[in-house]
Amino acid sequence: MRNRNATAYRFLTPYLLIFAIFWVWPIISSFLISFQATRTVPWRFAPGFNWGRLIGDPAFFNALKNTLLILVIQVPVMIALAMVMAVLLNSPLLKARGLYRFAFFAPVVVGEVAYSAVFRLMFSLDFGIVNKLLNSIGLPKVDWFSNVTPAMALIMIAVTWRWAGYNAIILLAGMQSIPEDVYEAATLDRVSKLKQFFHITLPLLKPVIVFCAVLSIIGTMQLFTEPFLITERGGPGGGTETLGLLLYRQGFRSLNFGYASAVAYTMAGLAIAITLVQLWLMREPK
Amino acid sequence: MATVTLINVAKRFGAFEVVHGADIDIADGEFVVFVGPSGCGKSTLLRMIAGLEDISGGEIAIGGKVVNDVEPADRGIAMVFQSYALYPHMSVEQNLSFGLRMTGNPKADTDRRVKRAAEILRISELMDRRPRKLSGGQRQRVAIGRAIVREPQVFLFDEPLSNLDAELRVQMRVEISRLHKELGATMIYVTHDQTEAMTLADRIVVLRGGHVEQIGRPLDLYENPDNIFVAGFVGSPKMNFIKAHIVGRDARGVVVELAGEKKTRIRQPLTDAAPEPGRKVIVGVRPEHFGDAGEGDADLAVAIDVVEHLGGTSFLYARTANGEDVVIQRDAAKVPDTPAVTVSIRKSYLFDEKGLRLR
Repeated sequence: MRNRNATAYRFLTPYLLIFAIFWVWPIISSFLISFQATRTVPWRFAPGFNWGRLIGDPAFFNALKNTLLILVIQVPVMIALAMVMAVLLNSPLLKARGLYRFAFFAPVVVGEVAYSAVFRLMFSLDFGIVNKLLNSIGLPKVDWFSNVTPAMALIMIAVTWRWAGYNAIILLAGMQSIPEDVYEAATLDRVSKLKQFFHITLPLLKPVIVFCAVLSIIGTMQLFTEPFLITERGGPGGGTETLGLLLYRQGFRSLNFGYASAVAYTMAGLAIAITLVQLWLMREPK
Repeated sequence: MATVTLINVAKRFGAFEVVHGADIDIADGEFVVFVGPSGCGKSTLLRMIAGLEDISGGEIAIGGKVVNDVEPADRGIAMVFQSYALYPHMSVEQNLSFGLRMTGNPKADTDRRVKRAAEILRISELMDRRPRKLSGGQRQRVAIGRAIVREPQVFLFDEPLSNLDAELRVQMRVEISRLHKELGATMIYVTHDQTEAMTLADRIVVLRGGHVEQIGRPLDLYENPDNIFVAGFVGSPKMNFIKAHIVGRDARGVVVELAGEKKTRIRQPLTDAAPEPGRKVIVGVRPEHFGDAGEGDADLAVAIDVVEHLGGTSFLYARTANGEDVVIQRDAAKVPDTPAVTVSIRKSYLFDEKGLRLR
């Protein structure tokens, strides 16, 4: 048996080497870099330099506040919307189901740059269709890119548009795994469709909802594309700057890899902490 | 409690007809079993009574009231599903009370009904457990309990025992029988297992290919089948069918000769018009209707291939000189030592070429 294992490991060696060099080492290395002052040549070991700065950096807290705000508002709204979409997709009354499924999923496969450009056009102050629609129902135009609140809303709308369908497909798969006869039994028990949804579908979907929430939390903690491309690098005036964007700015604009690494580890730590809290809150009662 | 009447009930999926005009009358408090092989339409028929399937034609009445367009919940029925269909995230107590709680039934009444169902089914000590912590038999009891708390006019059972092992199936069969006696409710039970049908039913409805083949009391179906399908389906091991032809007839009946067995002639009294000599027929003999040589109407020489010993009884798997396979039931003490043996046919049934019974 030991021989057979050795042979297997020999076959796995190329993969394990690549994994170690390009996966494990960067993780360790970036962690070590976070303890170094990287604005000096050569870099020097200074444990408090980046981590200490983090605690007192208004830009970090601004990015953290923005990221958490998006997380707290956008993730629940998106999952609720995804749930509605999944229920619609699961309805036996729906015609052309395949078409809807494709349409809901399509945003995920659309190029980020292309979709960001389209969003910028759609929300443009003078030419955008969104403002035209608002005008047509008697509402004033909104300057989506120059004011912080509308800009944040725009980021949330864009992220929701992009990922709601993806989550809906996951939730749909979960829904379809609930046996039909459970609903039939509830129907015979005179339980209305709405009550069936709240008392059967939702509780049975809990593990899938948790899965979607965890994926979304991780995704939002890393949010970069939308504030970078749609609101032009976290504009207006850092109003939509996220941790991902701060990391990019520090690492690849200021070449301050030590601080960027500290930000990266903070993001990962927060994602893990929030996910653990989430899992604890949604745990199965014994 | 209530009667259930099906008049010319049909079910079509597109052009495909799965139930062809079923007419069934079920009396108040009766235990009726729909039995037949897979795909015979028995579950579809039950689901139509429940209202879980629309009916394509005909009429269904429960308690004298036509329910074709009545919602399932308003038909006064409760159903026990093959898969139990328990709510996995709820405790046994919550499973039992869910329907009543959701419809705003007074709590005291809900508690009373749940307690009574739990006592009837002896599951009071399981009330806090989730379904996944229960054995198959316990889950089945909870599923039945959920039906009991509804206090329905009619209980519907859709193959409720097919997921249980053989021993538990026998045990639950007895419990369902006891339950019927205790509640006195009308029960309709679907199964593909003829033993379940024979042991539970007041009356059996035998279905094949969406047609009702015969309706009758278990022993009537056993003793007096209308056709070769019912004859073969009811009884275990199934009836032996041996090719034969008519060699003579008179006013009282016909004389039949088994194919390839010049010496084996059976006289069959017939009240219907007897077929002409030369016509091919099928003789049906139940394994338990073979006797010792000289004991019955005619003797038949067979060669034994395999003997199955079940204790007091044995089954001989044998072959006639014409190559027809037959199963013979014998007392264990009377199993012959030699492969070649002559048995007698003590009782037989006659079927025409289409499989209809000649009486």
